Amino acid sequence: MDSVFSQLSVLGSSLVLIFGLILLWRRGVTAYISAFTWQSVVLSGVTVVVAYFGNDPELYWVAVGLLLLKGLVIPRLLRRMERRFPAERELEPYVNTATSLVVSGLLVLFGYAVTRPLVALSQLPTRAGMPLAMGLVLVSLFVVISRKKALTQVVGFLMLENGLALLAVLGTYGIPLIVELGVFLDVLMGFLVMQIFIYQIHETFESIDVEQLNRLRH
Amino acid sequence: MLLGPPLLGALLAMVVRPYRRFVGWVNALLSLLSLGAALVLWSHLLAGRVPTSGPGEFLRADALSTLLALCVSVVAGLAAWLGPGMSRDDGYSGAEARRFRIFANLCAFTMLFAVTSNNVGFMWIAIEATTITSALLIPLHVTKASVEASWKYILIGSVGIALAFGGTVLGYFDFVNMAGRQEAALNWTVLMASASHLHPEVIQLAFVFILVGYGTKAGLAPMHTWLPDAHSEAPAALSAVMSGVMLAVALYAVIRWEAVVNASVGTGFTDGLYIALGVLSIGIASFSLVIQRNYKRMLAYSSIEHTGLVCVGLALGPLGTFAAMLHLLNHTLAKSMMFFLAGRVLHRYGTTEIGRVSGLLKVMPWTGGLFAVGILAVIGLPPFGLFISEFALFRAGFAAGRPWLMGLVLALLAVAFVSMIGHLNRMLYGAPTAGVAVGEASRWPLIPLGICMTALLVLGITLPPPLQTLLRQIVEIVGQ
Repeated sequence: MDSVFSQLSVLGSSLVLIFGLILLWRRGVTAYISAFTWQSVVLSGVTVVVAYFGNDPELYWVAVGLLLLKGLVIPRLLRRMERRFPAERELEPYVNTATSLVVSGLLVLFGYAVTRPLVALSQLPTRAGMPLAMGLVLVSLFVVISRKKALTQVVGFLMLENGLALLAVLGTYGIPLIVELGVFLDVLMGFLVMQIFIYQIHETFESIDVEQLNRLRH
Repeated sequence: MLLGPPLLGALLAMVVRPYRRFVGWVNALLSLLSLGAALVLWSHLLAGRVPTSGPGEFLRADALSTLLALCVSVVAGLAAWLGPGMSRDDGYSGAEARRFRIFANLCAFTMLFAVTSNNVGFMWIAIEATTITSALLIPLHVTKASVEASWKYILIGSVGIALAFGGTVLGYFDFVNMAGRQEAALNWTVLMASASHLHPEVIQLAFVFILVGYGTKAGLAPMHTWLPDAHSEAPAALSAVMSGVMLAVALYAVIRWEAVVNASVGTGFTDGLYIALGVLSIGIASFSLVIQRNYKRMLAYSSIEHTGLVCVGLALGPLGTFAAMLHLLNHTLAKSMMFFLAGRVLHRYGTTEIGRVSGLLKVMPWTGGLFAVGILAVIGLPPFGLFISEFALFRAGFAAGRPWLMGLVLALLAVAFVSMIGHLNRMLYGAPTAGVAVGEASRWPLIPLGICMTALLVLGITLPPPLQTLLRQIVEIVGQ
């Protein structure tokens, strides 16, 4: 039973990470939104698996929340935004695709190195997936830093949150429910504010290319 | 009692639909209630009791919390008394004033909640909420610059806070592996109690995330890039709140975790990180001050510099922590006052460029005078509070055996000193800029600012015993 659990959690985590890597591989915002949606769905799936095998009914609620918030509501809002702004492709990011993929590979390896004490310490059967979650965190950070379109940066941020949520689920079978609820609320609010700002950027700058946001120097 | 008034203020502002001035006045009076409550908490601590409230010690106000609650309520009070919506000609429309009152109050509420929450998870939630509530206020006047500033703020701030969440999760992970899952596992008191059992490498990793994450919100380099933009584009009252006290609240979160890490692995690890990031911040800020052309950005970089100083102080042992906390208080008073003054200057001159502001002393003698004295205070001249805390910091540094470090910091501070005096000179003297009305607008907003200045003077001359006790208690908590 334990090894099935273990394998399922590693499988889920790998899928979550792979969906994250799509942000570096594909260039269109539509692909990013789909990747995020699927990533969130798989994340809820992993949560359900942990809830079942780990005997933690609270996690079912967390999974439902994840699915609703990140699998439905936020993607819907993202797609609406994407329709508002013409499908500008992420042309010429600061770092090109090939280099990005190499960097992300290095980042995942770094994630493995960083989480070694965690994996060594933990007794849980889910611990093998933790390096992958950390890898996603680092890769998402890289996306936020190296991408130029505001929407891409937002998706990068949301994936960062996913990576952390995965880390929490795998490492400690989730955090106390009440805190989890607060986190959901915060993520939703943060996303809504970002959405407001993207609309404002579009209104004042006529585009959402953050390279235009360079008036304020020094 | 402490948390209620800002919440009420926000509700009132939300409810009163075309904005009316009485909302501002009620708001201002309510903020006094918060301040009173903070003082009451202080008196409890002096008597040796740590006030808690709520089920399972949900809210807890020890010395560290109370110092910050004091800072937050003072600045929130200033913002309530001097913010948009109190007089008819302050340059903000009714809708903008209403937005300000709602979100500034919510921000104050979340900050107070963050510093009194016993649960580090809720502390995180509250700090994320402060980012969200304040971000909405930066583009109060929608311009290209303010939109850019607010986008950087929300993005970098949220990423930083997400990393801090990672740190929180790692800390929780460490605890859970040592002691099993508990509902109260995220309570700081519980974490402290079992700190010696925590696995060193994991808690160190957690602290790295925490320092980088909350440090982003505190303005530590190299995560500070949002700060000069956000603090200079925001309306004056908001800049005062952000520079004065939000940075401090973010540092508070780091210090809470620092206490846990120190109890677990001793102070060497945190000291190293603090010094590295602190010196980097001071350095970047000082050199940026040389080329500043915008006085609000100048003040913002000064905040980065002082945050760096506080961090370095925290790495210098118990004397250093004492100095750092005193410096936090001094800086809050000084910087919030400065931003309000800068707001008045902006309102009169219509520009934030140093080059286009001249003859300040002739145009607005009181404002200009206070501004000048304020700058002198901020760069650390006696007889103001900041001089005392910086002096104490250097003393601690030499006592801790780090003379080279202190020399470096002193040199960087000198660079900042010279730059800011230069900019100040350009603004104060000379012929008044063409087309600017001469003479003070309304005098009464200067009264609360004058009170701040007096407080700074007092702190520069003496350290009142109640404050001393409070600061000593904080040093004990941090465990150095």
